[in-house]
Amino acid sequence: MRLFASGIRKLSRRPATFVTFGLLVGLLVLIVLAVGATANSTMGNGANQATRAAAAKELVTFPGAYDRMLAFITGLGGLFAMIYGAAIAGSEWSWGTLKSAVARGESRVRYLLASFASISFMIAIGVVVAFGIAIVAAIVGAHLAGLSTSGLGDTATLSGLPARLLKGWFAVVEEAALGFTIATLARSQLAGIGAGIAFYFGESFASIFLPDIVKFMPFSVANAALATGSSGGFGGGAAAASLPADQALVLVGVWLVGSLVVTSIFADRAEITG
Amino acid sequence: MSGPSGALTSGGAAGADGLALATRGLRKRYGDRRALDGLDLSVPPGVVYGFLGPNGAGKTTTMRVLTGLVHSDGGTVEMLGKPYKRGDRRRLFEVGALVESPTFYPYLSGRANLRELAASGAPVPSKRIEEVLDLAGLCDRADDKVQGYSLGMKQRLGIAAALLSDPKLLLLDEPANGLDPAGIVAMRDTLKALASQGKTVFVSSHLLAEIQVMADMVGIIAAGKLVREGPLKELLSMQGVVKVRVRPDLMEAAIKTLTPIAPAEHFTETDRDEGWLAVHLAADRAEEVNRTLAGSGIYASGLESGNDLEMLFLELTGGHGSGGEGAFVGLGGPNGDDAHDGGASAGNGTAA
Repeated sequence: MRLFASGIRKLSRRPATFVTFGLLVGLLVLIVLAVGATANSTMGNGANQATRAAAAKELVTFPGAYDRMLAFITGLGGLFAMIYGAAIAGSEWSWGTLKSAVARGESRVRYLLASFASISFMIAIGVVVAFGIAIVAAIVGAHLAGLSTSGLGDTATLSGLPARLLKGWFAVVEEAALGFTIATLARSQLAGIGAGIAFYFGESFASIFLPDIVKFMPFSVANAALATGSSGGFGGGAAAASLPADQALVLVGVWLVGSLVVTSIFADRAEITG
Repeated sequence: MSGPSGALTSGGAAGADGLALATRGLRKRYGDRRALDGLDLSVPPGVVYGFLGPNGAGKTTTMRVLTGLVHSDGGTVEMLGKPYKRGDRRRLFEVGALVESPTFYPYLSGRANLRELAASGAPVPSKRIEEVLDLAGLCDRADDKVQGYSLGMKQRLGIAAALLSDPKLLLLDEPANGLDPAGIVAMRDTLKALASQGKTVFVSSHLLAEIQVMADMVGIIAAGKLVREGPLKELLSMQGVVKVRVRPDLMEAAIKTLTPIAPAEHFTETDRDEGWLAVHLAADRAEEVNRTLAGSGIYASGLESGNDLEMLFLELTGGHGSGGEGAFVGLGGPNGDDAHDGGASAGNGTAA
């Protein structure tokens, strides 16, 4: 518990926390407002313009906007979470702070798992706050597009929202775990972040050619676990082929646990030098 | 550092054989290179133990093994009276360590870094953080971010971090790195005070002069093996040197004159241009050297005598290039003669 609390304190003062969150929310708000403001634009020919306007309006129309905002957060947010996880784990090696803790008699596995638990907690806060901001942005976007927000209070959607947020958090945590593990194996922030981004886009790219394999991969299962019914998040290859939500959720857990097991085994055996 | 604050509460602990730290046949390889090759150390409690060796001799590897950062390939370690094996991480709760360079979160303050470090390993009362900050002389800058600290301040914070758990055994790797002269003196006083309170301080260093004035015992390591260990005074008593400065053109004549009191192999021209000549004799024979030279009409313009750890070190470690990381080859040749500068760089000597 001491380590977990310490992890929260460290992350809450870490610039990477605010930069990651700020980027996600900034992009989200910018896109939603831009979509709302241009939904009724008259640019383009008739058919295209109508299609684009319909898609834009769908993004900010409630109650569907709830799912689409969550999909955005788990899609692009998943990439950011992976970078965040890699940055935190990598810096423990790069800065030598893991070394200091181990030299004090701390268990390597316990230390790293507590660090990851702290990351998961911060992600939970981040998902909830980002979702709140996204909904506000969607409301503003709807007004800009001249749409009604009467669907905001849709009881069926609202009652399922906590469970969907929980699933979204779980999926993002799995993606963070992947970054955490890659950076642990690489023992480096930059290498971890670079490899993680390559993995993310590599999976997205591979989904074009190997959809039946890629649908089992971590970013795809994370997107499929939400089963939003929308056209998927940003990247991750979810749109190409996806598993049923329940099955995907189980695989999210498998990837999460697998990542942490690999981290633990590697950390326990690693020689901490430099 | 502000010196000992009296914050230390517990004394040292020793094993049944009376040792605070002992290694027997410690081995470690990195690929094809033997970093440790059967290292046997015997560190009694309540001393400052200087752990010396050239670059690549295995000092840092020893520190890493002792702190559980790397795993040895063989041999045993006994720490504070009990065997220390892989997985015995709790044995380190009574040990404080600074291994290589001090490491911190750059975006946190010094105080916050200590607080977060205290969350790992042995529980630490929060007042202890203030005590070690005071001990390290960092109270005024404790709330500044570490990224703004100088190298010396980071080193002080590293030593403070090593003292967090009020350890019975302190393992410090090059603790004087980056410290200014006042900081070095304060650190030395602090470490001596810790030893006087029964703690055991194990200091790895290549600053021979620093070790010579601080350590009670030394262990000298070369190529992963212990080549000499014992009380410093005892080792130095066998390593006297008298340095005499004469006119450079009289150097040969001086050697000839002194040959009756010292065999030829006892002479080293430490700096021919400056006229410094080292004679390997007991330090108390300086007067005899001076008198002999004067009797032949050669008058010394400088005379120093002392017991030189540097010479002992170079002799035992094979001089230059004995470490695993290679070495500079001095302009005076590869035999190590040029290692001695004109002054008594590591000599515990007196100048006339």
